[in-house]
Parts: sequence; structure tokens; C-alpha cells
Amino acid sequence: MEFPEHYLYSNDHEWLSSVSGEALVGVSHYAIEQLGDVVHIDLPRVGEEFTEGQVFGTIESTKTVSDLYIPASGRVLAVNSAVVAKPESLQEDPYEEGWLIKIAVTERPEKVMNCRDYVSFIQDKL
Amino acid sequence: METGKTALYGQHLAAKAKMISFAGWHLPAFYGSVLEEHRAVRERAGIFDVSHMGEIFFSGSPAQEFLQYLTINDVSRLSPGQGHYSALCNQEGGVIDDLILYQLEAERYLMCVNASNISSDYAWIVKQAQRFPGVVVDNASHQWSQLAIQGPTSLSALLSIVPSDRQAPVQDLEYTQIMPLMIKDRLCYLARTGYTGEKGYELYLPHELASWAWEEIVASSPLTGIRPIGLGARDTLRLEAGYLLYGNDLNESTSPLEAGIGWATKLAAGAFIGREALLRQKAEGVERRIFCFRMEEQGIPRHDMEVYRGDEVLGTVTSGSVLPTLGGAGGMALLKAGTIAVGDSIAIKIRHEMKQARLVARPLYMARVKD
Repeated sequence: MEFPEHYLYSNDHEWLSSVSGEALVGVSHYAIEQLGDVVHIDLPRVGEEFTEGQVFGTIESTKTVSDLYIPASGRVLAVNSAVVAKPESLQEDPYEEGWLIKIAVTERPEKVMNCRDYVSFIQDKL
Repeated sequence: METGKTALYGQHLAAKAKMISFAGWHLPAFYGSVLEEHRAVRERAGIFDVSHMGEIFFSGSPAQEFLQYLTINDVSRLSPGQGHYSALCNQEGGVIDDLILYQLEAERYLMCVNASNISSDYAWIVKQAQRFPGVVVDNASHQWSQLAIQGPTSLSALLSIVPSDRQAPVQDLEYTQIMPLMIKDRLCYLARTGYTGEKGYELYLPHELASWAWEEIVASSPLTGIRPIGLGARDTLRLEAGYLLYGNDLNESTSPLEAGIGWATKLAAGAFIGREALLRQKAEGVERRIFCFRMEEQGIPRHDMEVYRGDEVLGTVTSGSVLPTLGGAGGMALLKAGTIAVGDSIAIKIRHEMKQARLVARPLYMARVKD
């Protein structure tokens, strides 16, 4: 299981590429492993605004639907339609090709962790 | 209730299964990918740990008479070595559980019931048995492990644990038949039944043989392509094949006629619990019925989501999922009968959005159990 060091992570298992400016948001490899096959993703529209911790979409596996929580407050600049069209691609690459939305961060996030802290956060679950 | 471990718990962990708690048991949801496991069973074979299922034995001279009264199907049509699908109903015709009943010998039967209902089924059965002195009911659920070996290559995989002098009768076993089978001097029962829509077997065996049998069968993989399958794919496989899941598609307020198992409900075969209510329902016509549907828009239907036609609520989804063999998504729904038919457009309310779907013939996937 991989966790890129330059990303930040929330305890809901979303990742964030940057705490200011434009940032990509996705879900961690750990979350994908827990879900199993991802079969459907619902994402917001460009222009929608969210505050840190709000639900911005849903991710569905064969058996469960999970909410996606935004790791930083921001406005949606872009949505990855390729991953919506081919949700199973998330399994192969949840970090580069598998980004979900791009946001303009409006406020520095309070609850994200660096990679090392995130790995120790999920360690006891591994 | 403490969550139980089957005799194969160690095998599941070693295979890196994602374990979940189901009906009081730790069981594998999937080992890697539900979709890949689903495909493996359709194309090659899979092995399932279904030790959570319940095994209730019936014996004594009034056993047949009792089972005729207790269950909806016609037990007098069974003969030793044959099984059939059936159900327990209450007086109102509601389904207490659905099950498979096998006749093992002249006065000995095995009933396989759902894990979540074992204790309530047993209590119900024991209560009804008071009217049939001489019947012995034995809930042996905790004494048996159970493996399901399912898929086009299931027979070859299964033969890896069958003694050479018993391979011929195993090869001749036909759909719904059951046979006793001595393996390593222990009595097992092998049935040609399943819950996937593929040719397959269900093997009842003592716990001591479970790990060995599992590993031997999995070891046939280079030849048979068999792999371990979790509950996730068990559910998508059964849904495509149109098999009901108790607790989702039917419960004590659903009748077998509504659930579409009228074919197993032998109203003419004599008295059984719930028959009066079902005869009445049949004469008046059912108000609700299980339909199959497929989505025509993106979105995955789930249990309890509302089904609409225009503004009218027709009922709810009882089971929904992606349909790996057919593509897309779909499921079963319990809907107001009478004014709707296969081919009609419906909409499923998926988290505040209406998504178009269409009623289709059941089953979604034509079973190949007799291949």
C-alpha cells in the first residue's frame, strides 16, 4: 500500500495535494482497499463550494456507499470525468490519474495530517 | 452475541480476506475483488465457506408427514437422495425462512436454513413438532462445516477430495440430488445445489475435514481455475440468477406467491402451515410481487430505495447491485402488482435523484445449474 509523502491526508482517508492555492483531492489507497471494487462515483459540479469536512460526493463499491468528505474548504475548479466514467481505474492509481476534484482552497485546512501521521493513524487497522 | 469463527477462519486470514461480521460469524466479504471473484465463478469455479448456514436433521416415522405440514413444497414427491427448494411459512402465509430440504433416507431428512434464522427456525419447528410425536428434530448447525464449490469446472475441483472408488457416483450426481460420501472415514453429504446460477456442489462436512478439503480443492486451481469467493460475489451471483435473499427480498410479511416462488408452493398437495392464507391470496390475486429490473441510467440501486412510476410509489428495491455478468446495475423490487408489467419504465430514487430503469424478465441471468 502506498501513500505519497507530498500529500496531506484526512482521518476520513481523503488526500489533498496542497494546503493553499489550487489543490487536487482524492481518496487514499487504504480507503480503496477497504472498499473493494469501486463501481460508481458521484462528484459535485464545477463552481460548488464546500467547507472542510463537508460531503462533496459519494463513492460506491459493490456492497457499500461511502460519503466523500472534503479535506479543505474550497471551490470546485474541475472534476475528473475520466474517473467517473471508469471508476475501476481508481484501484490502479488513486493518486495521479485517480484524482477526483480540483479545488481553489479558500481556507487553510485544520484537520489534515502529513503522510507519516496518517500512516501511524491507520497502522493499527492494517 | 459473540461473533463465531468457522473452521476456515485461518484460511481466510491467510488469503488476506476482508472479513466482515455476518449473521454472527466472521466471514470473508472478498479476497481481492468482488468483480473478479464473480467472473471466476461464471467462467471457471469458486469455493465458498458457507459454514454459517444451518443444518437441521429430521428423523422418525412421522418425519415426512411432519415436513409436509411444516413446509410449502410437496415432500411426498421427494425420494431418498433428492432435494428441493422450499420455505417455512407462518399461519398468515408469511415466509419465516426459505430453505433446501433433502431426503437422505426413508425416514431421515436434512434441512439447510439461513444462518440468521437458525435459532428462530428451530424454535418454530420444535413447537410445531409437538403435534407429531415420534419426530426427532436435531439442530446440528454447529457440528457441520459447509463448502460451496460452484462454476463450470466445479466437478473437477471437487474430485480432488473424492476417493477414487466414489468418483463415478459423484460424477453422476444430478441437479438437486444429494449423496452420503465417506471422506477420510468421516461421513459427509454432497449435494448438487447452489446459490450462484452455475453448475455446482454444496458439501456438508465435519469441521475436522474443512481445512484439508478447502486446501486440496484450492490446490486444483492450476487445472480448474478455482479460487476462494467471498460473500460479496455470492450476493451478486445469486442476484443475477434470481435467487432470493432472506431478510432482503423476503421476510415474515412477504408470501411465497409475492416472492415469485409459487412454483415451490404446492397448494394442492395437502395441508401445510399458511396454506389457507395462501389459497385466499391466490384467489384474490397478489397485491405485490417481486420484479427484476435493470438500470438505464448511471447509479446503483440499493435495498429499500423507493421505486416510482411518475409520482406514484410502486414499492421498494429489495436487492440491488452492479450486475457483473450482464453489465450495468439492477436488482429486484417488491412492487404493486396488477398495473405494471415486464418492459415498463420505472424510476429508482437514488439519494434524491430519480434514475430511469426498466422491468425485465426474471431471472436476469439464465442459470446453468444442469450443465
